[in-house]
Amino acid sequence: MSTLTLEKLNLIYSGSTHAVNDVDLAVADGEFCVFLGPSGCGKTSTLRMIAGLETPTSGEIRLDGRVITRLYPGERDIAMVFQSYALYPHLTVRDHFEFPLRAQKAPKADRRRRVEETAALLHMTDLLDARPRQLSGGQAQRTAIGRALIRQPKLFLLDEPLTSLDAQLRLETRTALKRLQTELGITTVYVTHDQEEALSLADRIVVMHDGRVQQVADSRELYRSPANRFVAGFVGTPAMNFIPATIQAGRNGNGGGLDLETAAFRLPLPSELVGDARGLAPGRAVTLGVRPEDLAIGVPPTAPAAPRGRVIVVEPQGDERIVSVEVNSLPRDAANGHPGGAPPETTDQLIWKVRAPKRGHAEWLDPGGLVGLTVRPYGLRLFDAATEERVL
Amino acid sequence: MTDRTSSAASRFLWYLPVLAIVAFFSFPLIWVLMTAFKTRVDVFADPPKFAFSPTLDNYRRVFDGPFPDALRNSVIIAIVSALGSVVLGTLTAYGFSRYKFRGQDNLLFWILSLRMLPVIAVIVPYFILFRRVGLDDTLLSLMLVYAIFNISFSVWLLKGFFDEVPREMEEAAKMDGYGPWGVFFRVAFPMVIPGIATATVFNIIQTINEFLLAFVLTQREATTAPVALLNFLTPLGLDWGGISAAASMLVAPVIVFAILVRKHLIRGMSFGQLE
Repeated sequence: MSTLTLEKLNLIYSGSTHAVNDVDLAVADGEFCVFLGPSGCGKTSTLRMIAGLETPTSGEIRLDGRVITRLYPGERDIAMVFQSYALYPHLTVRDHFEFPLRAQKAPKADRRRRVEETAALLHMTDLLDARPRQLSGGQAQRTAIGRALIRQPKLFLLDEPLTSLDAQLRLETRTALKRLQTELGITTVYVTHDQEEALSLADRIVVMHDGRVQQVADSRELYRSPANRFVAGFVGTPAMNFIPATIQAGRNGNGGGLDLETAAFRLPLPSELVGDARGLAPGRAVTLGVRPEDLAIGVPPTAPAAPRGRVIVVEPQGDERIVSVEVNSLPRDAANGHPGGAPPETTDQLIWKVRAPKRGHAEWLDPGGLVGLTVRPYGLRLFDAATEERVL
Repeated sequence: MTDRTSSAASRFLWYLPVLAIVAFFSFPLIWVLMTAFKTRVDVFADPPKFAFSPTLDNYRRVFDGPFPDALRNSVIIAIVSALGSVVLGTLTAYGFSRYKFRGQDNLLFWILSLRMLPVIAVIVPYFILFRRVGLDDTLLSLMLVYAIFNISFSVWLLKGFFDEVPREMEEAAKMDGYGPWGVFFRVAFPMVIPGIATATVFNIIQTINEFLLAFVLTQREATTAPVALLNFLTPLGLDWGGISAAASMLVAPVIVFAILVRKHLIRGMSFGQLE
């Protein structure tokens, strides 16, 4: 039984850089927890503090209730797989497996038995006498995993372990890793910047940005209910589409409802959604977010201010197409308070990505064609313009 | 058939410049070796003789004189001082490479500056110092002085090697349960062995060739080989045959040691770039 708890963990480098900021987290026994975030978000620093390779400026780390914040790395009963694998050129695979056991002064017979077991588990029995330079990327990676697992640590840390593998091998290793972790039931913390990896491996994902935890959730919740604009934009490929908007009193006869006014279009907010929203009142500045699959593409609408745009690029993706649409390139109807010409607020080109099914072919789906966009009501996400927290 | 001949021919053409360079650099050594086996008359023959009847007279003269004792002194001093300099240099270099502390750069430069000092500038203080503590004309005094002089070279060379050892490798060993010494001996040390071999060979070469310090700090008991060569400067003129025989013996220990560690030496001299 191994649980990991982080409490108000802070790391400040050389007095100024706040690499990790008030991180609180509880990882349950046997859980596969993934730290996800762009480079420099503090995920690796957090991992290194758990490992003991970095000393927190403040805060506490507990493993199974025992405070380990200031223990030497080797005294924490934590194993780690490094991004570079950290294999020693002068040692064989067998030596690598034995390496942590020798530190524990394990008896020779015991060492031999556990090396055999680990080699069998990782399908490396034939490679025990090979040196790192004779190993392929995948074999080197398995060696590093074997070295970490052989002493049955309480906690297993992995720092971007798949980064140096090619795409095919990465997929295979990902599956193998997930199976191994489930079989052994070992509590795992895994760091990656690759959301696909995180979504497929994790029981729970910790999204980090600027040293802070943005959201802790399983992959489904993360995708469906992002806590803020950063998470919404970071998780999902292609990324969520955004546009600045203002809440306005509805005027298209939807019973005193609300509208979203943007530089490119005006959109009525479905009244059944507005009920859930916190403090949506006319005049509030928000950011509208819509995932590419929550948009439908069609012929240009006749309504004066409905979303529309010009197709820029069409990328075939097997069973679908990703269509890039420039949504603010067209002059808006004068009746909406924005005389023709460039929209006043966003002068930058604003391109939205839309997932479109690949059946049939319409001429307007070629680059340059004019299209209308329909937003699926439940796909609407609103974020506060100032705090970036999700409000709908 | 033509393929094989042409490739052999092209390989020969490639080797030609190599042979020329090797010949150029080994010529003085060959000349000394030849002179060592020449009679006094053959030594001064003009034009120089390449075909002559060899004699061991020069070596007999060398072995009868004080040179073998001096050579033994040189070898002992070189090995002990090289070991001292490399052991201390390795630990110092590791400290500089792995730990950050205030004034680090200044300290590192100071260590290097020891090397910039001309020997003549410190020779008199050393002489007085060793005479005061009763260490003049002893092997120990030279071992100490050479170790001190060579330590800066060892530190600078080995720091480069330690810098090349990826930090993650040491961190992995820490995670696996090794303390600072375990990390050093099991990870860092094995990975800088080529550097250590290189530093040792360079130190031995430096020490075995050194003349000025040995000339001033020794009189009779601790005389080293380069100083003992002065004995071949006789009132009757220079004994070229004797000098050559002695010189060939002086080169031998360095060659033997270099052959012993040649595997590491090649990687060491390329700073670990060759695999």
